[in-house]
Amino acid sequence: MSTSEIDPEAVQAQALERIQSADTEEALRAVEREFLGKQGVVQGLLARIPSLEPSQRGAAGKQANQIKGAITQALAVREAALAHAAMDAERQALGFDPTLPPPTVERGSLHPITQVTRELEDLFASMGYHILDGPEVERDHYNFEALNIPADHPARDSQDTFYCDQEGKLVLRTHTSPVQVRAMERLQPPFRAVAPGKVFRQESTDASHEHTFHQMEGLVVGKDISVGHLIGAMKTLLAGIFGRELEVRLRPGYFPFVEPGFELDARCPFCEEGCSVCKRTTWIELLPCGLVHPEVLRAGGIDPEEWSGFAFGLGLSRLVMLRYGIDDVRHLLSGDLRFLRQF
Amino acid sequence: MHISYNWLARHVDLTGISPEELAENLTLSTAEVEEVFRFAPHLSDVVVGHVLERVPHPDADKLGVCQVDVGQGAPLNIVCGAPNVAGGQKVAVATVGTRLPGDFKIKKSKIRGVPSEGMICSVRELDLGDEHDGIWVLPDACEIGQPVAEALGVVDWVIDIDNKSLTHRPDLWGHRGMAREVAAIFQRELKPLDTSLPELGSGAAFPVTVEDNACSRYLGLAIDGAQQELSPDWLRFLLLAVGQRPLDLLVDLSNFVMLDLGQPNHAFDRSRLGAKGIVVRKARQGETMTTLDGFERKLTTDDLLITDGDRPVALAGIMGGEDSKVEGNTSQLLLEVATFHPGTIRRTSARLGLRSDSSARFEKHLDPTLPEAAAGHFARLLQSIQPGVSFPLALSDAGRWENPAKELRVRPSRIRSRLGANLADAEIVAILERLQLAPQLAGDEITVQVPAARATKDLGLEEDLVEEVGRIYRYGNVPTQNLIGEIVPPPADARRRWVRRLQDALAGGARFHENMGYSFVPDRVLQAMNIAGLPRVQVINPVAEGQAKLRRSVLPTLLEAAQTNRQRHGQVALFEVGKGYLPEAANQHGEPMEVHLLGAVLACAPNLEAAFDAGALPRLHGVARELLSGLGIALAGPEAHTDDSPFFAWAHPKKRMALRSAASGAVLGYVAALDPAVAQNLGFDGDAASDLAVFEISIDRLLEEPPEGSRYRPLPKFPEVKVDVAVLAPDALPAAEIVTSIASAGKGTVQGVELFDLYRGENLGADKRSLAFHVTLASDARTLTDKDQAKYLDRLAKTLEHQGAELRR
Ligand SMILES: [Zn+2]
Repeated sequence: MSTSEIDPEAVQAQALERIQSADTEEALRAVEREFLGKQGVVQGLLARIPSLEPSQRGAAGKQANQIKGAITQALAVREAALAHAAMDAERQALGFDPTLPPPTVERGSLHPITQVTRELEDLFASMGYHILDGPEVERDHYNFEALNIPADHPARDSQDTFYCDQEGKLVLRTHTSPVQVRAMERLQPPFRAVAPGKVFRQESTDASHEHTFHQMEGLVVGKDISVGHLIGAMKTLLAGIFGRELEVRLRPGYFPFVEPGFELDARCPFCEEGCSVCKRTTWIELLPCGLVHPEVLRAGGIDPEEWSGFAFGLGLSRLVMLRYGIDDVRHLLSGDLRFLRQF
Repeated sequence: MHISYNWLARHVDLTGISPEELAENLTLSTAEVEEVFRFAPHLSDVVVGHVLERVPHPDADKLGVCQVDVGQGAPLNIVCGAPNVAGGQKVAVATVGTRLPGDFKIKKSKIRGVPSEGMICSVRELDLGDEHDGIWVLPDACEIGQPVAEALGVVDWVIDIDNKSLTHRPDLWGHRGMAREVAAIFQRELKPLDTSLPELGSGAAFPVTVEDNACSRYLGLAIDGAQQELSPDWLRFLLLAVGQRPLDLLVDLSNFVMLDLGQPNHAFDRSRLGAKGIVVRKARQGETMTTLDGFERKLTTDDLLITDGDRPVALAGIMGGEDSKVEGNTSQLLLEVATFHPGTIRRTSARLGLRSDSSARFEKHLDPTLPEAAAGHFARLLQSIQPGVSFPLALSDAGRWENPAKELRVRPSRIRSRLGANLADAEIVAILERLQLAPQLAGDEITVQVPAARATKDLGLEEDLVEEVGRIYRYGNVPTQNLIGEIVPPPADARRRWVRRLQDALAGGARFHENMGYSFVPDRVLQAMNIAGLPRVQVINPVAEGQAKLRRSVLPTLLEAAQTNRQRHGQVALFEVGKGYLPEAANQHGEPMEVHLLGAVLACAPNLEAAFDAGALPRLHGVARELLSGLGIALAGPEAHTDDSPFFAWAHPKKRMALRSAASGAVLGYVAALDPAVAQNLGFDGDAASDLAVFEISIDRLLEEPPEGSRYRPLPKFPEVKVDVAVLAPDALPAAEIVTSIASAGKGTVQGVELFDLYRGENLGADKRSLAFHVTLASDARTLTDKDQAKYLDRLAKTLEHQGAELRR
């Protein structure tokens, strides 16, 4: 095309029309190249200026620059319009299905016994209780003798024991209570302590019996510690566990290492008028407890005339089952991922 | 133990006290009631019928057709096969619709063409005994149409008490003792009971010799002329109510006395005892005897025997012998009422696995004054039923015993402070009186007289009396008190804190699931891991064969769990914090060392990708290193784990890495793959075939590390430069040495080295590999230039050359 044939006004009209009809970013760029590129039409207009009459050069230059400005502006307007249109299209979200299942991102988990133990440890630590441990392979002395359960005592019946030797000197602890006397040997009264841990009973397993389970022992020794203190501490404990005050009752229970000894029942937190958890009684038998027997204090080197104390044995496994509604105790130590990943 | 409401009412007036109220009060003051239920509720559905006539069945010789008036409408037509049914009898009739024990519902039927509208019941059909050779004939006085339970006065309730809560109360193992408790709770009188011995004959006492202290008292009462017969209904129903099957009068009476007073007793055929009389002694080594249940028992010298001078006739306090049992024609009896040493009875019954109602009572420590009352009770009951019996001989009474009755003192102030209840002295005295402890208040002390029944075991300390007062006062009346006193935060517990951080890091960022397993490991697993021979704590009475051994490491537990889970899950990532038990490191008391361990297992479907960091082992290695460094434990660079002690017999011989502390140089743990044969033995094959790795870290060792913790490092002041470095190196050159070169060539400017590719290929030559690293360079002093970078690479190239490797540019 010879420059003399170019009609500047037609160029502008044509460019603006092409810009208007470009409906993609790419098409717009093509129009831009065609008109404003180095080999573009507007460049052609500018290039022909030197060949014009000097008197016409000024006007032609001005006109060419006006055309360039008009095209540039139209490009910008059209570009913005296209961007808006793209966002509008995105907003339409054609084909998007909010009910499509997302890819699984599996989290890890802490064992429910860990979770409940931690809660209780934190609760007790905040009230000044030491958190203690004791051996799981325990001496007969701490598991029985020092707890006022001599050999041939019928109370040994209810604690079917795993023995580690023929002489019966070493056992798998049947409860966390041996930590009571170990604590007395280590700490100066007054003190408060809890001891969570694994315990063992030689018995066959079913949905409500396990040979290995978890308990938490509690022991408070001080001046004039009374049954009233025990009730108060247990109420605090239950409020911590169940998140609200529960009515409790103490009734006589026999454990050789406490005198008097109790079973503590709490009002069933799951019902008003009886349910399967409380066997329709509205009471849940929660934990054995009592005032520490003077012989046990003596075994721990503490003078029962000067000091008294209370002790309790919380069934952690049972509490975990209550908390989460677990119907079979054997799940707890089964290692089954289908169980573990629920917590 | 089962307590019958009606039986209890023989001893204490229960008017106005419902069975439920009784149970509730016993629970709150005495012992745990497990449930209360109606005795034989079906007896209220079965009615008294009057047999109007019986005619033979037209088509069956042995059947009869009865017309039975049940007090409603026309008489019922009932076909009955019992030989003893006859017109004029009062009988128990189950009408159509009635349910009998065994969920047997009576329906209208036709028997050999004759319609039958109910059933005339036998004792056995009503679950009231074993007799079934005829129907149950009721007393004539029974009112037609009345429910049988009401007509016979056997509307009774059973209170089931948890035996465990009676362990310390030998006095409560009979209805009389329980009634004493009820009397104290409800403030009622205990009815008098005459248990004195009846008049005895003048014959010399039957010879009894007690040779062993394990028998503290042995009474022998000779009885002549007792007839074998069924017990009267009142006795049968009371026994039935508490779950005791009635047999014959003598056996029933013996049981009744035991369940009434709590004192076991045993009747021998006196004519079958030898001239030496009764000799109580320990068994001889190798001696045997056959007990009443027909089993031959092998005895030890710890077992106490009742003998006739030669042969054993009873296993003392546990069970009689087959040879001297009372049979139908016995008319000369010797009633044994004795007291035995609780521990001896307990040991023998535990060893033989032979628990009886008798042994359960003796092992609770019975009152030695009780036998006299029990003998008197038995004699008077027998006499009231069979007035013809006589007691020809003086009472035999042997053994050495003391009356345990004693005096105790208790301070009312001590009761108040232990209970935390402000009880007045007078209230305390009143409660002790209700308990028949004869309290005397003098000054600031109360003296009580503990009767023999409660003195053998139960009441011996001041604290025991605190309990007596508390349980009658009711613990529900004790006001709640808060613990007061200075609260001192317990000392920091480093292990607990570490464990929590490890658990959180693994369950959180690393997305592992926490496992808790048994301390026992099955022999099968230990054998599969080649570690069955290591020393182990073992129990001598495992729950199952092959379950006796305790773990030394948490890995067997984790591997077993991983294997089961892998059948269902593509990837299993588990960890466990737990103990290992090391018997060889026991302390002076014989307690094995208990070590605290953290273990983890990662098992996934076999990895087919060739990427160097995609396998279970490198991934788990990364998890372990990040876990420790994240908790502020600086680790030395990766290195091989070379411990070849027998414990590692399960591990892959080469694919093992040590986790070594940079600060202390101690190995804190290891990461390992399994020996391929071990993996197969453990069942990681077929669907469970896995790419598999484990780590184990000693928490005890972690605690010994210097408490470094995470430290802040100032952020770089000048821009970081990223350089990619590719190294061609012989396989034999450990990567750690290359990394060391990469770091040291920077002269302090290397901030990070990260392997991003590992490549082997024919184009590289045999036994060679290419490792590619992202290296981050930065200086504290200035911005690094291209020239610095080039100098760095030159230095690195030279170092690598010395190592036999080559920097690829
Ligand atoms: Zn409930």
